[in-house]
Amino acid sequence: MEDGVTATQVVFWILAVVMLISAIGVVTAGNIVYAALFFIASLAGVAGIYLILTVEFIALVQLLIYGSAVVILILFALMLTRARERPQALFGRSRPLGIAASLGLLAALIGGIVATTWTTPESSAAIQPVGLQAIGDAIFTIWIVPFIIVGVLLSIALDGAIMLASPDEDDN
Amino acid sequence: MPALEHILVVNAVLFAIGAMGVLTRRNAVLILLSVELMLNAVSLNMVAFAVYGHVDFGNITGIVFAFFIIVIAAAEVALALGIVVRTFRNRATANVDEVNLLKW
Repeated sequence: MEDGVTATQVVFWILAVVMLISAIGVVTAGNIVYAALFFIASLAGVAGIYLILTVEFIALVQLLIYGSAVVILILFALMLTRARERPQALFGRSRPLGIAASLGLLAALIGGIVATTWTTPESSAAIQPVGLQAIGDAIFTIWIVPFIIVGVLLSIALDGAIMLASPDEDDN
Repeated sequence: MPALEHILVVNAVLFAIGAMGVLTRRNAVLILLSVELMLNAVSLNMVAFAVYGHVDFGNITGIVFAFFIIVIAAAEVALALGIVVRTFRNRATANVDEVNLLKW
């Protein structure tokens, strides 16, 4: 874009700031339920960035699977483990070490990004929106075998989760 | 469109925040939430690369990968929460530092 900051960029930065602040809330909130609610806001920010990147399909999948199914699972797990009833330390003893390690990781990642020369398209016309049909063509032709395998994996994992969480016969 | 570098830097920050959560939290469910943040950063990165490069390179593999990551993350969340619930039933705790059966 030649004409400086565009509306898309402004929306992108707003979404990015909301997403990052919510992510910081997830990892620092003192209440577990607040952390889960911050997680929803962060997921919504990620879905908005998907929309800016013109992939509506992934944004919808993000909202449907992460925003509803995964969040409801996590809230159920929080209820089942009764984490709210016993106030206790939410952070381990190695907290300063963990913060230092993640800051080091961040420095390494940003250093790598800045040091690399990216071949971005010159004009905005080079960034074509990716249509739903193109994604469907790719998934159901080139990636059909991984698609089937991932479906089988998902059903096996859900069955295994039910088996793990269901009580044993000799529990009571 | 935002520049590719800006998206990558935002995703790097998100990934580092998730790593901080994994390394500092005690509760297993909150560690799982932080892992999900890291997965989100990675799949957003893949989508960014695919969208910025599919004209030049002629494929959208990154978007398909993001789709697969979301599906596998759903499976992983279900399994991990099953393990957390089972651990809570056996050990009466959801904190990872109190589950020390294998610690010598």
